[in-house]
Amino acid sequence: MRADVTRLDLRLRRRSLLGFTAGMGLYTLIVVALYPQFKNSLSLDQLTRHDSAIAALFGATGTLTSPAGWLNANIYANFLPLIMFLITISYGAACIAGQDEDGTLSLTAALPLTRRSILLQKSASLAAQAVLLGAATMICVVAGHGFGLAIPAAHLGGITIAVILAGIDFGLLGLSIGCWTGSRGTAIGIASAAAAASYLISSLAPAIGWLRPARYASLLYWSVGNHQLTSGLTATAFAVLAATGITLLTLAGFGFRRLDLR
Amino acid sequence: MAVITAAGLSKTFGSRRAVDALRFEVGKGEVFGFLGPNGAGKSTTIRLLMGLCRPTAGAVAVLGLDPVRDGAAVRRQVGYLPGELALHPRLTGGQHVRYVARARGLTGLGFADTLADRFGAVLDRPVRTLSKGNRQKIGIILAVLARPEVLILDEPTSGLDPLMQTEFERLVRELADDGRTVFLSSHELDQVQRMADRVAIIRDGQLVVTDTVAGLRQSAPRTIEFAFTGPADPGWFSAIDGVRVTGSGLRQLTLAVNGPVAPVLRAAAAHDPVDITARPADLDELFLAYYRHDPAKEPADAR
Repeated sequence: MRADVTRLDLRLRRRSLLGFTAGMGLYTLIVVALYPQFKNSLSLDQLTRHDSAIAALFGATGTLTSPAGWLNANIYANFLPLIMFLITISYGAACIAGQDEDGTLSLTAALPLTRRSILLQKSASLAAQAVLLGAATMICVVAGHGFGLAIPAAHLGGITIAVILAGIDFGLLGLSIGCWTGSRGTAIGIASAAAAASYLISSLAPAIGWLRPARYASLLYWSVGNHQLTSGLTATAFAVLAATGITLLTLAGFGFRRLDLR
Repeated sequence: MAVITAAGLSKTFGSRRAVDALRFEVGKGEVFGFLGPNGAGKSTTIRLLMGLCRPTAGAVAVLGLDPVRDGAAVRRQVGYLPGELALHPRLTGGQHVRYVARARGLTGLGFADTLADRFGAVLDRPVRTLSKGNRQKIGIILAVLARPEVLILDEPTSGLDPLMQTEFERLVRELADDGRTVFLSSHELDQVQRMADRVAIIRDGQLVVTDTVAGLRQSAPRTIEFAFTGPADPGWFSAIDGVRVTGSGLRQLTLAVNGPVAPVLRAAAAHDPVDITARPADLDELFLAYYRHDPAKEPADAR
């Protein structure tokens, strides 16, 4: 498969992508470097130990001062998904619907490429952006070994894969809505709302009984909300995240095939 | 064999009918001018030819292929310049050229360099810093770059200065002489008259005429002005087929004449004319009559 469209889109987003990645890496290094200051803080532990609602809001797994709890509460349960979704949803909404709205898609659409090829190349660009952010964060966390933040490699790799997959899924949701509606704004709005709902459900489900069954509908639950840093990524979670992506890509394909371009 | 065929081609957007039952053919090596006022359906027709949107009814074929079903195969042999050219603002013209060349599998950029020299295109600066005319030059290079069998150009000279318009006309003629087919839309009548072998006029989504430029010229009205010694009566010419009085003064009459002039001269001679002025067929007036939907001015045999 040709990769000209993938390369072009990565080039067009190079500055913002590198900026987000550098910012996320720097934030991660600061969180990692601060860990020794907090790892023996009993009061911080007590904050979450006796109040499941607070623990849920922090995304704490086990104790807040354990390596997994510290990373989850400061990076994996909230900040990393936020930046990840910012990148992937904005690209997903822009790469077809946005470029069609501003007219630049006609440059690519006039090439001897099938729509399937264009869609797959743009999905590859989406995946590359998610992988770059996830991998950069993981590398910075690995540096945390020197600060006493020891996480099993399999668990760290597992949650990294899970966050990347969730990012790709929400990006594909934006892309798919863009393909069906031709509207970048609609795509960003719906995909962002879905991501916010997913976050709320995943973070509040442990504290609110009636919300607990709904956590299975949250991609955040399957990626970061189910003790992935302490227990690893399960095959079921991987399958849910991967199947969601394949389904959304298929839906995007149907939408793009019938979309009238400018 | 026709290179482009539209058969009952229609497209609606919601309740709005953009083009309605278009029927035309464009032959190999032909320069086909597609004229019409803004919003007439020119760009929609072109997007249908490119497979960028799907027809609601009817069929379209380019080089015998369906632009939607066989889109990649069609576009491999078609160069396209959109009406509202949008390039990536941060990329240079050269980066655009290399992108299109790579995606089209071109190995050399010699022809692109030749075109850039010919049009004086600026390829080393970000597109956002270029004028509309300079961006349009890049669009022309991107469309012609791969020397495609068919060129589909939507308002190609928009923003170009007169010198570059002339250069563009030369380029189109060279490509047509080389056996390539050119479909170009425009609302600049003069230019299309000079470039096109045949012309179609679209208005409100419907084709109102398709003819050669020479054929259209034959059907365009000539203007004849008479001056008489006494008061002139428009009724003197009202019974003559193909004649319409377009202006009158106390001793003057202006006529638009389609067809033979002998009956007009005979009718005028009976009233002692003292002067006569005749102007050749006015194609602009004919086009504008079509544009304005002025059936009285449209010659019946060209409809």
